[in-house]
Amino acid sequence: MIGYIIWIAVMLLLAPLFLTLIKMVKMWLLFKKPLPLSQGYRNFAKLICKETVVSQEASIITHIAPYMVLSPLIVVLFLLPPPSSNTFFIGFTDAFTITGLIALSSFFLMLLGLDSASGFGGIGSSREAFISALVEPAMILVIFALSLMAKNLEVAKAAINLNHHFPIEHLASFAFAGIAFFILLLAENGRIPIDNPQTHLELTMVHEAMILDISGWYLALVESASAIKFIIFASLFVSFFMPFGMQMPFLSLCFCIF
Amino acid sequence: MLPKLQKFWIFTLFCYIRPIYKHFLSQISSLESYIFTFDGLSLLFILFLLLAVVPNLFYAWGYLDHIRHKWHFIVHYITFILAMLGVVIANTPFVFLFSWELMSLASWQLILNNAQGQKELQAARFYFFMTHFGFIFILLFFLIVSNGNLSLPFSQLPIIASHFAYPTLLFFLLVLGFLSKAGVVPLHVWLPYAHPAAPSAVSALMSGAMLKIALYGFMRMMLEILFPWHLEWGVLILILGALSSLIGVLYALSEHDIKALLANHSIENIGMILIAFGMGMIFNTLHLPKLSAFAFLAGIYHIFNHMSFKSLLFMAAGAVLHQTHTKNIEKYGGLIKSMPITAVSFLFAAISISALPPTNGFLSEWMIFQSLLGSSSIYDIALKISIPFAVFALALTGGLAIACFVKAFGITFLGLHRSSNAKHSHEVNRLMLIGMVTMAFVVLILMLFAPLFLHIFNNAIKDFGIANIYHLIAPTPWTIHSIAHNGGVVAPLFLAFALIVITLFLLLAAKILQIRYRTYHTWACGYRTNAKMQYSATGFAGPIRRFFAWLYRPKVHFHKTTIAGHTTKFTSALYDVHIKPLFEESLYEGTKKILNHISYWLYRLAHFEQGRYTAIIFNLMLSVLFGYRVVAYDFSWSTFVLEAIILLASIKILVVGEKK
Repeated sequence: MIGYIIWIAVMLLLAPLFLTLIKMVKMWLLFKKPLPLSQGYRNFAKLICKETVVSQEASIITHIAPYMVLSPLIVVLFLLPPPSSNTFFIGFTDAFTITGLIALSSFFLMLLGLDSASGFGGIGSSREAFISALVEPAMILVIFALSLMAKNLEVAKAAINLNHHFPIEHLASFAFAGIAFFILLLAENGRIPIDNPQTHLELTMVHEAMILDISGWYLALVESASAIKFIIFASLFVSFFMPFGMQMPFLSLCFCIF
Repeated sequence: MLPKLQKFWIFTLFCYIRPIYKHFLSQISSLESYIFTFDGLSLLFILFLLLAVVPNLFYAWGYLDHIRHKWHFIVHYITFILAMLGVVIANTPFVFLFSWELMSLASWQLILNNAQGQKELQAARFYFFMTHFGFIFILLFFLIVSNGNLSLPFSQLPIIASHFAYPTLLFFLLVLGFLSKAGVVPLHVWLPYAHPAAPSAVSALMSGAMLKIALYGFMRMMLEILFPWHLEWGVLILILGALSSLIGVLYALSEHDIKALLANHSIENIGMILIAFGMGMIFNTLHLPKLSAFAFLAGIYHIFNHMSFKSLLFMAAGAVLHQTHTKNIEKYGGLIKSMPITAVSFLFAAISISALPPTNGFLSEWMIFQSLLGSSSIYDIALKISIPFAVFALALTGGLAIACFVKAFGITFLGLHRSSNAKHSHEVNRLMLIGMVTMAFVVLILMLFAPLFLHIFNNAIKDFGIANIYHLIAPTPWTIHSIAHNGGVVAPLFLAFALIVITLFLLLAAKILQIRYRTYHTWACGYRTNAKMQYSATGFAGPIRRFFAWLYRPKVHFHKTTIAGHTTKFTSALYDVHIKPLFEESLYEGTKKILNHISYWLYRLAHFEQGRYTAIIFNLMLSVLFGYRVVAYDFSWSTFVLEAIILLASIKILVVGEKK
């Protein structure tokens, strides 16, 4: 139980780090001076200290939506597969629930985009609606295939089952499911071929366009939501498609760091 | 217009009254034949009607001041409800058919109640035609399975049905009869016309209850009369369900009329219910009773859920319509500020219909997915491979439904007012609000007490030879287990609780951090926002419309005024997209064209000179001779082809003649 709580806390704390890491690598590849790893935390602190400016056209939805964007994702965080096979995990939710919770989060994000009466918000929500509509069937089919291979739909048990018995006889399906899930990971988290979070032109944005008109605490909530979403997908990808090392989590952690 | 229709109505009633009177005399004289039944399934659907009607009564009462012909409305509204009740408790084909017809006619009159223009009249006519198209097949079915004696109780019909040589014919009669009423592709075309034309309280009842009553009829006949099913039937129902769900949601997305959008969404949900029923039938024929029972429970649960949230959505849409006097979604905007209760109930129903956890819509969709997952226990490899296509259809439907309801809620209630009507709107009267809030409670109850409801559903259908699996799927009041061996668990109460706790925790954090708020105008990259700068519903659905352009085949009108070919400050532009449903265009218009063609030829034949008649008779004799030779004597391809050529040539030269 204590291990479980520590694990959740670690994931929550590390969430901004991962996005910063990606940005850092990208800048490094573009021969720019990489930003420090603490940038995610600094942004968060800055946003919390700032005043929250709410658009005068906005309704109650702007005050509800940021919470509803973040809280389903935090719930998902509690339901993720455990880091090692003898850690406590919550066994009464399955992969459909997790997809549903992620969809609930993006539903409110889309409403947030439409609330401030700005054309850019509408652009963002419209594109996000399109992308998530196409992501949904792919996600469900990946889950469907995985549940057949792992003999269970509950994410934690599925991950443990895969760990104990790697589906070598279904390797082709497994590999295709992995590729599909990776593409979903890119699409859901607004990464480069689908969306570019670092773009400077509002017309080409998806995720950033929806949140153009929120600031301060609400922006902090939404930004943490996107960081947590990234870590959820990364964790799911690792526990499903690299199902190794649940017996010795620290060793694999070291392996990941290097 | 109305008096004329009234006359017709009275005339129709008159046609019915005589046989009813005679029939009732015979019924009363033979008391041993029960005309009503109160078995589990009937009681279940009485509960269903109760949940659907009680909130609706408040709403309709509040809506009454918006209606011109009040007494016409009240009489037909009550008749409609009683007729639905009659369908549910009928135990003989006669009572069933009578109530069914009464239900159709009452709803038809209710559509006409609001008729102001040609559009509504056409919708009513279309509805009248389609509902009787279905009625004919139901009548045929009953005539066959009761040997022409329509006052036999249902319990005696299975024996007659089992002696009928072509059970598949009976199945098709049921499909055409009941599913045309339920709005299944390709017999769904009347739905997006009929539902918007009715007063909103009635749209809610029609979409929420009447379609499900059609499914009740289908289910009852399948379970009680036609019981040993064939595998192909289940597959057909599954295919119809998958097609309906996808096509329904795609047309809902492209719709700008809010009530037509909701009506198209009903097609989608009926499709989802049919996916569950199809899986139930497939599992039943493959002797997997537990999986079959699970699929049927999923279907019935979705029937209840769809009734609750679709009624609520229609009520909220009706409230918006009541205030703004337009059904065009592009003319709304910003209504959440003036109509908060309506907006919140619409949002609640929208979350539920988009199948987002932890709402009841999610739970039933979860169950349908689980029953599809059960396909891994099937040994028929072709079936096993094709069921993931249904999974794909259902999942894509789910994704598109989210997009559709973000559009419906976002464009209607958020942003700035897009018209002066929207600006002057205010909250509707208290009775309508009570109706909406009560219906929201029904949605909430269906979510919170899901295991209890599953218990009730299972009790209702276990008399029909469906396995009792309640203790397997809901061992505790807070979890629902899948019956598939690779399935999962869902805990709705836990999810709701966790979401509330975490949100409260975040709110507490905001309180502790003492966040300061300031209201300022929208940034929008430095532009001034106004109503016309917002995203429109057409624009919102744009990416999806382009992606599915092969299905939609949109007709785009782009009109731009220029001065000597230059755009100036005074330039105005108009961009308009029209989408005509593919099925309507191909199937219905196509049938119309073919019929026109045939009637044209018949007309030509009927109005021509004697020489042509003689030629027809000559050709007829020729074909009889040739046919006799082919049938009675030896058959050889060479002479057959030769004779066919001679016959065709003679018809072409003598009968058809030269084209004028």
